[in-house]
Amino acid sequence: MKARILFVQLSFLAVVIGAWELGDRVGAIDPKLLSPPSEVAATLWALLQNSSFLANASDTIVRVIASFLIGAPIAVALGFVMGENISIGRSLSPIFNLVLAVPQSIFLPVFVLVFGLGFTEKLIFGITHVIFVVAVNAMAAVREVPHGQVVLARSFGASKFRIYRSIYLPAMAPQVVTGLRLGVIFAIIGILLAEMYASRTGLGVLLLRWGESYDVDKLMAATVLISAATILINEIMRIWEARIGRWRQVVDDP
Amino acid sequence: MTSTKPVVIETRGLRKVFSAGRAPITALQDISFAVREGSFVSLVGPSGCGKSTLLQMLAGLMPSTAGEVFVDGLPVRKPAPDKISVMFQDATLLPWKRVAENVEFPLEVRGTDAAERRERAAAMLSLVGLTDFGARYPHELSGGMRQRVAIARALAPDPRILLMDEPFGALDEQTRIKMGHELLDIWSKTRKTIFLITHSLTEALFLSDIVLVMSHRPGRIVGVIEAGLPRPRTYDIIGSAEFGAARNRIWKLISQDDDESGDNGMASL
Amino acid sequence: MSLRRLLIIMVILGTWEAVRRLDLVGPLLLASPSEIIGAFVKSWPDYFLALRFTIAEIAAALALALIVGIGTGIVAGMVPFFGATAGPLLSSLFAIPLITWYPLFMVWFGLGTMSKIVYAAVSGFFPIAINTMNGIRGLDRRYLLFGQAIGCSRRQVVFRILLPMAMPSIISGLRIGTGLVVIGVIVAEMLASFGGIGYLISYYRSIYATGHVYLGILFALACALAANWGLSLVERRFTHWRELQIGER
Repeated sequence: MKARILFVQLSFLAVVIGAWELGDRVGAIDPKLLSPPSEVAATLWALLQNSSFLANASDTIVRVIASFLIGAPIAVALGFVMGENISIGRSLSPIFNLVLAVPQSIFLPVFVLVFGLGFTEKLIFGITHVIFVVAVNAMAAVREVPHGQVVLARSFGASKFRIYRSIYLPAMAPQVVTGLRLGVIFAIIGILLAEMYASRTGLGVLLLRWGESYDVDKLMAATVLISAATILINEIMRIWEARIGRWRQVVDDP
Repeated sequence: MTSTKPVVIETRGLRKVFSAGRAPITALQDISFAVREGSFVSLVGPSGCGKSTLLQMLAGLMPSTAGEVFVDGLPVRKPAPDKISVMFQDATLLPWKRVAENVEFPLEVRGTDAAERRERAAAMLSLVGLTDFGARYPHELSGGMRQRVAIARALAPDPRILLMDEPFGALDEQTRIKMGHELLDIWSKTRKTIFLITHSLTEALFLSDIVLVMSHRPGRIVGVIEAGLPRPRTYDIIGSAEFGAARNRIWKLISQDDDESGDNGMASL
Repeated sequence: MSLRRLLIIMVILGTWEAVRRLDLVGPLLLASPSEIIGAFVKSWPDYFLALRFTIAEIAAALALALIVGIGTGIVAGMVPFFGATAGPLLSSLFAIPLITWYPLFMVWFGLGTMSKIVYAAVSGFFPIAINTMNGIRGLDRRYLLFGQAIGCSRRQVVFRILLPMAMPSIISGLRIGTGLVVIGVIVAEMLASFGGIGYLISYYRSIYATGHVYLGILFALACALAANWGLSLVERRFTHWRELQIGER
């Protein structure tokens, strides 16, 4: 059954790409607006060898990774504290939920206004995107810890470290990984947005520039590349998430 | 007995095979029985023996691989809401509708006009003893009350036969016993034909005139036991010698089937 | 209770004003309440015009996302094979940062409102479709059987039984979707537009009019909150039974 599904999905994709290419060749689709897949692929290949493109791409990647690496650990720690300590949790979580509910992106102009355009500022913008979503998930992860087991372990005289390592860690892991996955996605969105809005380097800048100059080939190539990369990252992290959460199925149902 | 009454629902050589890709599974094999008007018939069998599949086929919700279902002599190939009513284990009430609106729902779908619907719903609610609960919502009611509403809803279109799939399965024992009494009370008042599926031998015997015994997969009818107990019945009848004897006969049929299939069917009962 | 709240609000506003007056925080970073009010007094016609513009875009995008999203979700939920193939596709595509497609939308749909509406609608489409699909898939199959048994046509089963039952899931999808639509419209306006609240925010930033920038943000927040509030009303209307159900457990 799974094979059938995969087959249908792949053939659907193949049909779409095929029709797209054909449409362009025949003239049904305006090649100035929607370049044929063959050209997009060629352009992509060319871009990947273009040093300027690679420089911009690495700028973006560095910013994303940096904001994630800084923001994630802080957020996990914060979320853990909010989950463990009920009073801190109760006072801080409404704020966190409010921030998540309110679109952070609209604060971008203020950000730029206040902080300017530099590397640090973009980093901070990305970090804020990461922190809230990861922290909220980390806090929810604490709820996954089976309280009964903790009490039992303590009655056996297990040390705090032992308890954290053997009970908290595996119980929290799946939810935390979900948060991390979302954190990466949000970081990518945040950094790209900041680049589009006010930056001199980065993939976001290139996209906007190519859009404004109707450089459709390069635009499509870059857009497809970024989309594919993000999907790949998402799927890899999902597999990791599923791996860690495998044991969950067994314990769950009464 | 009721042997002179016309047959309401009948199956002939009913068979169902599921061919889900790999090995085909025969859920039901050669099911043939007839239910006469006004009688209360139960079907017992272990879990997974195909009881629910059979019920869905009786209701016209699933086609058979071979054999047919007849209601009043006519073949059933799709749902016949004016003739057949179905009740599931979960009351399946619509939670956003009030109790009375739930009871009216099948009539609403049919196109009955509002005044007639309301009247009928009120009558049904009074039959099941829930007259004052029409304006409440399902979540305000207990499990047993919700099943009563489901019964009222099932009887609203005045069907020829009422099919019930383990209707009391989700209730605790005391409520089950009470509901059993209620059901018998409603049955004696309306004289509806009822076909009830259960995995409880006690419940089947207590409620019905006739108990059909089904084997485990592939499900076949391995026996037809006449309850032979006087009516009206109260729960203390289960202590009587006749009850015990009938129960033993059913149990023998089931365990025989287990032995023959060489499988320790104890797990499923 | 509300008197206390009022007092707290006044204290906050007062401190806020004082912080600026005493120049504890620079004029670029923070605008004092008086500055914001000043901006409002000066330019409110522009803001309200922009608001109408933005709201129109939000409404159009939301309608589009709703219809296509719920429609897709229903089909994916009802038709198992379609759901099994389309479902994972939807979830995977959801991860794509849609902002990267905005320049492409600008090329395809022009610099005007169309590109913003499409962008915002696509942003909202995914969570709505995914949640609707999961909502319908997760329903007890007996409700479907029940509907068929009492003689409902396919359409009646979907609209009179399944959709109302799946409402809680659909609404949570709507929550996320509406948020994304509102952000989508405003961010798109910030990036490249000639009108709307997002455009005003961007414009005033470029001339360092902090008071006006903050005012614009307040308007944008008001849009988001209004949408949220509207959604809560819808939620209450369609899922009041669910709240109580959970409560009783």
